[in-house]
Amino acid sequence: MTTLVFGGSAGIGRELCRALAAKDYAITIVARDSKDLIAESAYCGLLSRDRVDWIAVDASDPGAVRSALTNYISNGEHSFENLIFTIGGAAENDSISDTDEEYIRALHVNLTSIMVAVSTLLPRMASGGTRNIVGFGSVAAVRGRRLNVAYAAAKRGLESYFESLRHSLTGSGISVQFYRLGYVQTQQSFGRKLLLPAMRPSAVAHHVVKNLGHDIGLKSLPRFWAGASLIIRHLPWWIFRNLKI
Amino acid sequence: MKNRRDWPGAPQSIYIADSFDGAISLKCAVQKPDRYSFFGAGTTTHCAIARGAGLSYAAASFGGDAISVDMSSFDRVLAFCDKTGIVEVEAGIRLGDLYNFLIRRNFYLPIQPGHGRISIGGCIAADVHGKNPFRDGTFAKQVQSVKLFHPDHGIVNLSETAQPALFRATCGGYGTTGIIISAQLRCVRVPGNAVEVHIEKVASVNEGVLRLRSLAHDSDFVYSWHDLTLPSAQFGRGHVVVARFVNVPITRPSQLYIPQLLPNSRERWPVGVYTFWTARAINAAHAATRGRNTKHVTLDQSLFPIHGSEHYFSAFGKKGFHEFQAIVPHDSFGEYIAGIRAATAYHSVTITLAAAKIFAGTSTLIRFDGDGVCFTINFPRSQRSPEFMHSLDQLLLEVGGRPNPIKDSRLPRHIAEAAYPELPHLRSVLHSWDKSRMFRSELSVRLGL
Repeated sequence: MTTLVFGGSAGIGRELCRALAAKDYAITIVARDSKDLIAESAYCGLLSRDRVDWIAVDASDPGAVRSALTNYISNGEHSFENLIFTIGGAAENDSISDTDEEYIRALHVNLTSIMVAVSTLLPRMASGGTRNIVGFGSVAAVRGRRLNVAYAAAKRGLESYFESLRHSLTGSGISVQFYRLGYVQTQQSFGRKLLLPAMRPSAVAHHVVKNLGHDIGLKSLPRFWAGASLIIRHLPWWIFRNLKI
Repeated sequence: MKNRRDWPGAPQSIYIADSFDGAISLKCAVQKPDRYSFFGAGTTTHCAIARGAGLSYAAASFGGDAISVDMSSFDRVLAFCDKTGIVEVEAGIRLGDLYNFLIRRNFYLPIQPGHGRISIGGCIAADVHGKNPFRDGTFAKQVQSVKLFHPDHGIVNLSETAQPALFRATCGGYGTTGIIISAQLRCVRVPGNAVEVHIEKVASVNEGVLRLRSLAHDSDFVYSWHDLTLPSAQFGRGHVVVARFVNVPITRPSQLYIPQLLPNSRERWPVGVYTFWTARAINAAHAATRGRNTKHVTLDQSLFPIHGSEHYFSAFGKKGFHEFQAIVPHDSFGEYIAGIRAATAYHSVTITLAAAKIFAGTSTLIRFDGDGVCFTINFPRSQRSPEFMHSLDQLLLEVGGRPNPIKDSRLPRHIAEAAYPELPHLRSVLHSWDKSRMFRSELSVRLGL
């Protein structure tokens, strides 16, 4: 059985692949650049006693994602035990004045391609044992801000999609998990002055692997963001509009 | 410089970079790529320099108007063959992580410096040495090949057969040829499951060096430690540490813990604690705990003796310290030690650490190698220390020695030029490879590379 990590060549995805490889999972890493995939799959292959392979596809093209995944499953006897979607990202100056192209790209990378991947691979989920579909959102999506406009919209959509998925798969034996991430030490936070401490990607990966098989629903990481998100969500508009965020 | 194009594909930040010895602190730009798309040919014209752990005593990974390219995300083992012992790793992997990978397969790298946080890229760029350079040589000796990135050339493979001049300039070239992406290294099988360490007391530095010469041929690790704070009759008293692999029952940790050591670790203690009397007391305590005995330790304890002693550096406080490390020809070593002793007394400098190793090799370009005794001293940075360092420079040139550029963040260009006669040749190799001299640091600019 295979664990597919979509977005597994960098950041949290990369740490997840390593944590899974250390536990001898069979892994398929999906990312855009074949050079990164070759390097990461080589390393994970040395850590794991099971198979590690990869698929190169650009998540900004959902059609290509469907085609690549369909091609992959048609060429082998793959049955998936875990689908993990660490894919996503924000453009640096993502605002309401973005072009259509930038909006569409943000939606595809953070939402549409994940929906397409789930619908393509869901019929190939293993029929027994521990099975999980794991998604990652962001605290940026708790309230609409001036920045991260398309990214936050897509991530809020993703959160809603995963909740729907959890409803739909209740009783199927598939655990649907969603992590709402605060600051994590990735490229997105590099060099930025952050209000609160950032979590190491390896620590996020540790939590995710530990929670596989558990019906955790939605979880905030770092944990203190659960309280912070609640406060932000319920801030009155007259206060929220004056925050320079 | 303003018209130069930035490096694409990775966020940029501004940070205050410090040389580990505390001498140089500069505001620099840093980028931390984590994808290979960063290394695209023709993508930039802005000067840069690779940065690994940032633990170089000299400013080798920043300065000179360069963007520091933090390579710590490139930390993977790419391939390993247990038949040939060749391991291919990315440049950002730390020695401790590579140790953890190799030891599970019963292999190790024989030549490595004393802390597991140091990156492989840094070891290659500075051509560092290990615990017995007489027998093993320097780090470059275990480098089979290197993948080097330069925006004008893309990623090129270098080895003793593929562009050998550039390969030699890269191993020990302080990052001036480009960014080392990955390297193939020669590992060896671990010869025994434990290391037998024998401590032998010596009455002076010269006696210690005599013992080192006789032991270096057939020891796996051999070096000496000396107390230079002692009064005249006992000056230089210390001990020789000699270690060999053995097969005895010993519990080896499944995973080496790599203690934290950061470029600015030292600054956590605002004031230094080393004075003449505290240094003497610390040295006396160290000597007393390392009495004449034999014990068995694990390989990681022998390879990384600094682990657990990180406070040694913090205790110099914010001002930091100097390290003066030099290879001195055998026949003038006595004269050198006498000179150090006189200069120490004249400048009232407190030597906190003194250590010796034997080297046997050939120094080419600006590589810290050659035949002789490698003698290292540490002392606190103070108002008196620049004059003391200057007197050491002069002494070293008089005895025909060679300073280590990576350990001395103020090493003047004329001293380096006098000690390294092949420096002009290195310059010509660099200029023919990279006409605009894109890869530079404070160190390379200071030495005119």
